[in-house]
Amino acid sequence: MKILVVEDELKIASYLYEGLTEQGCSVDVAHDGIDAQHLALEMDYDVIVLDQMLPGLDGLSVLRSLRAVKDTPVIMLTARDRVEDRVKGLQAGADDYLVKPFSFLELLARLQVLTRRSRRQDATQLRVGDLVIDLIARKAMRAGIRIDLTAKEFSLLTVLARHPGQILSKTAIAELVWGISYDTSANVVEVAIKRLRAKVDAPFHSGLLHTVRGMGYVLEERQGQ
Amino acid sequence: MTSVALRPVRSIAARLAAMFALAALVVLSLLGYVLDRELAAVLRRQQMAQLDTKFEDIEYVLKRLRTPEQWQRIHAKLDALTPPDRSTEYWILSSDAQIRYGSPPDEVEAFAAGGARVGELRIGGRAEPMMVRSASFPADALHGALRFAVGVDSASYAHTRRAFRSVLVGSVSAGVALFAALGYLITHLGLVPLRRLSHEAQALSPSALSQRLVVARLPGELCDLAQSFNGALDRLEAAYAQLESFNADVAHELRTPLTNLIGETQVALSRERSMAHLVDVLQSNLEDLERLRSIVNDMLFLARANQGERPQHLRRASLAGEVERAVDFLDFLLEEAGVTVRVQGDAEAPIERALFGRAVTNLLHNAIRHAPAQAQILVEVSSAGGQARVAVSNPGPTISPEHLGRLFDRFYRVDAARSSGDGASHGLGLAIVKAVAAMHGGTVFAESRDGITTIGLSVATV
Repeated sequence: MKILVVEDELKIASYLYEGLTEQGCSVDVAHDGIDAQHLALEMDYDVIVLDQMLPGLDGLSVLRSLRAVKDTPVIMLTARDRVEDRVKGLQAGADDYLVKPFSFLELLARLQVLTRRSRRQDATQLRVGDLVIDLIARKAMRAGIRIDLTAKEFSLLTVLARHPGQILSKTAIAELVWGISYDTSANVVEVAIKRLRAKVDAPFHSGLLHTVRGMGYVLEERQGQ
Repeated sequence: MTSVALRPVRSIAARLAAMFALAALVVLSLLGYVLDRELAAVLRRQQMAQLDTKFEDIEYVLKRLRTPEQWQRIHAKLDALTPPDRSTEYWILSSDAQIRYGSPPDEVEAFAAGGARVGELRIGGRAEPMMVRSASFPADALHGALRFAVGVDSASYAHTRRAFRSVLVGSVSAGVALFAALGYLITHLGLVPLRRLSHEAQALSPSALSQRLVVARLPGELCDLAQSFNGALDRLEAAYAQLESFNADVAHELRTPLTNLIGETQVALSRERSMAHLVDVLQSNLEDLERLRSIVNDMLFLARANQGERPQHLRRASLAGEVERAVDFLDFLLEEAGVTVRVQGDAEAPIERALFGRAVTNLLHNAIRHAPAQAQILVEVSSAGGQARVAVSNPGPTISPEHLGRLFDRFYRVDAARSSGDGASHGLGLAIVKAVAAMHGGTVFAESRDGITTIGLSVATV
């Protein structure tokens, strides 16, 4: 995936470059609006991450001149979370926006949504290691043994299994499982993961459901456990 | 502080003086008009009376005529009656030159031809019209048919009226000017307490927020104003104090995670560490950073709500339905705490679901944390008087009234010692409930008695 990151704050630009490159993306970085406009128009990117406040030419102007020519998906980054700022960005043709401070995981998730929106395959069965989830019969089996799950536990497991090896933040899980799109101090996801782990991992000799402290949870088969 | 002296466009005193002058002009002019009309009527009556007297004189003389030789005497008598300025004139009109008297101008001839009548005639050579009365005698043995007329000049009456009018205009003008001047003076004196109040208000210093205007010496009308002003100052002072303590609270809230971050990082870097140890430190840092992020985001949300931001996507929805969604989300927590929830009643209101859901989740989470095991949380949804209420009640320790009123303040905690630690809450949950209620045209309420604490919010139903 080819990504243009436009950000004048050097630290942010540098960790975005590093993080996205490690995800297997090819990343170009621009630090001001004029460079950004030039690159965005000359090259073909899969997605552009565009800061709103830029030296030289602000993000909205870059976006407008881009939209006059092509439809490259754009995620705006904004420090100001006011409704009119959001509306302005979306009206100018942004596909999504993220408010600073944002988490890297959230950015990754949004980038994936933007670039994969059209090509999503509907599987009927998900497999992670020896875990098999039958989406039609709504049954989960591990090593051939049926795991008895409640409806909510089943959707949580499905959400994790749809993103194998990918760290999902608590916010993302709350949104995907419960449709809760707001911040809350309630530690529902932690409790739910604990209960799921007791059913999916505890009876078996290896763990599939891992906690990445401070970031979230990931479902994957790890060697040597 | 710089003070710009703004020149008032119009002073109250000048405005009032102008209004006084206008009122005086209207009243005095009406009065003058009435007097002028009355004088005109009186003068007219006088002139008529004079004319009648003169007419009766000549009529008497003519009626006592016995011999033709007497015409000589009559003419002499009329000569004597005619004043030297000819302000009264007598005419006898006849074909007999011996009888004729005076030299009646054409206007009089024409008028007298009409017989007995009274009228005002403009006569050539005279500045003012004459009031003329005429009559005729039929022919008899002594003379042929004859007519006669008496005229009284209006000049002296017109002069009187002109003199009166000029005095009237002069005194009305003087009266108006006097009213304006007195009006200005009275207003100026009347406004003395206002100027004193203004001086006092100017003397209020931004560094001494407890200063107030002295109400005791003010007249009743200004007392209200000063009291309202003092009320505004009270509210400002309270808001200012709240802001100050809020700033202190924010700094305090941020200090704990910052201390962790700096300290842990410094300790980690002070020596060679294993990779696993460094990863551990970074992960711990990330937890504190997430905490900072959530505080900052919540505070920005509260600030926007405080600045009057309104929800963008209001949609009518069943409030009980939204409560059920939040209960469904919190299901695992409820099970773990061994607490159940009963939702009772329903109401519809236009809400932004994410905001309302967040408020209800906060209320329920708060209730779960304070309810003992095996307890039941009761959520009552009702609607009355344009407001829909969601009241969340949980059994638990009674909260004293001093705390109850401040539950919705940012960073306020009933138990000061429990300020940080479990990390589950940073003291903004109920403040967010209050902000959400305000954004939906509603309010919040809290009550606690006999071991049941009820906290809730209302939203406008229209």
